[in-house]
Amino acid sequence: MRRFASIVSLLAIAAVLSGCSRNGGREGRPESAAEIGPAGNETRRVDGLDGAGLKRLIADRGGRILFLNVWATWCVPCVEEFPDIVKLSRSYDPKAVEVVAISADYPDEVDSKIIPFLKKQNVPFKVYVAKFDDRGKFINAVDTSWSGALPATFIYDTQGQQRFKLVGQGNYDRFKQQIDKLRGTP
Amino acid sequence: MTSNLMRKEQPMRTKLTAFILLGTLLSVGLLAKDEGKKVENFTLEDYSGVKHSLTDYGKSKAIVLMFIATQCPVSNAYNARMVDLYNDYSKKGVSFVAINSNKQESVEEIKNHAKEHGFQFPVLKDWKNVFADSLQASVTPEIYVLNSNFEILYHGRIDDSQRQSRVKSSDLRAALDNILGGKPVTVVTTKAFGCTIKRVK
Repeated sequence: MRRFASIVSLLAIAAVLSGCSRNGGREGRPESAAEIGPAGNETRRVDGLDGAGLKRLIADRGGRILFLNVWATWCVPCVEEFPDIVKLSRSYDPKAVEVVAISADYPDEVDSKIIPFLKKQNVPFKVYVAKFDDRGKFINAVDTSWSGALPATFIYDTQGQQRFKLVGQGNYDRFKQQIDKLRGTP
Repeated sequence: MTSNLMRKEQPMRTKLTAFILLGTLLSVGLLAKDEGKKVENFTLEDYSGVKHSLTDYGKSKAIVLMFIATQCPVSNAYNARMVDLYNDYSKKGVSFVAINSNKQESVEEIKNHAKEHGFQFPVLKDWKNVFADSLQASVTPEIYVLNSNFEILYHGRIDDSQRQSRVKSSDLRAALDNILGGKPVTVVTTKAFGCTIKRVK
């Protein structure tokens, strides 16, 4: 009986430990995950993005243009603009144009606000949440001339150089025109 | 040999010192583009139709210009903090003037919003965002602190968190304390997420 109790205890400890390692707060781990997508079979992760991650994201172009949108669920023009960004992302091969959004909501709002919004919008591209102790540092890390007003959109060329910036609400046509100009395919 | 090394080291050391100095200046924001810039006089009406000019506040120890909004959740998260700031610093000779430059927010809406939140400071309507354009203000809430010569001493956020319980750095209070204490403002430029000022195109 005592041996049985020991085995049960060991199994319980192992289960707890394996759970801890899966959900541990290591750098680069997802903030949260949920099922979204047209067929509901895609795992939606919203990872925290810190300074190093942001630098890597912009630098790691691999021949792709980067369309970067910073938004928040509390920001009305961001929410209004978002369907156009979803449409835009579906207009390009992800190998040519990488669409990424970074949420300025708080990292602890991933499950309560960000993922429900992304599910509703059926978002097919990568979304991060800004993970900076000082949010002013995030703003300056993206662009020192940016005030922090949302929404804000930045387009980088295949070399990671910023070629377009819009602070305020944009739309599908305006963004597409900028990307096509950069690709040389009007 | 030693003197050669010293000769080589000196420019290196000078460069290093200059680099460190530049880094320090940047980190405290002393090279910020707005610092010391003089704000031109303006005249705008508050929601009661009373005209206010910047020169009306020339005898203040500091003038706090606050670009705010009625509909922006971030600006609204700071309503109580703006009231607290007014209560704490107006009696010390600091003037507070709020400005609404959003094209879609009416005078009636501004009046109701100010009354609802107990604003004792004037809220001015910046028609066609002329004043916001002159300062290149772009976000709400956005703060400019001026001295009595109308030169910018601080530009940026009220503090570092929309959530009051998580504030670690009360930047506007720190700037006002510096000014009232007769000291240079330590951090003259800060940033935070906020809503874009909706401009007339």
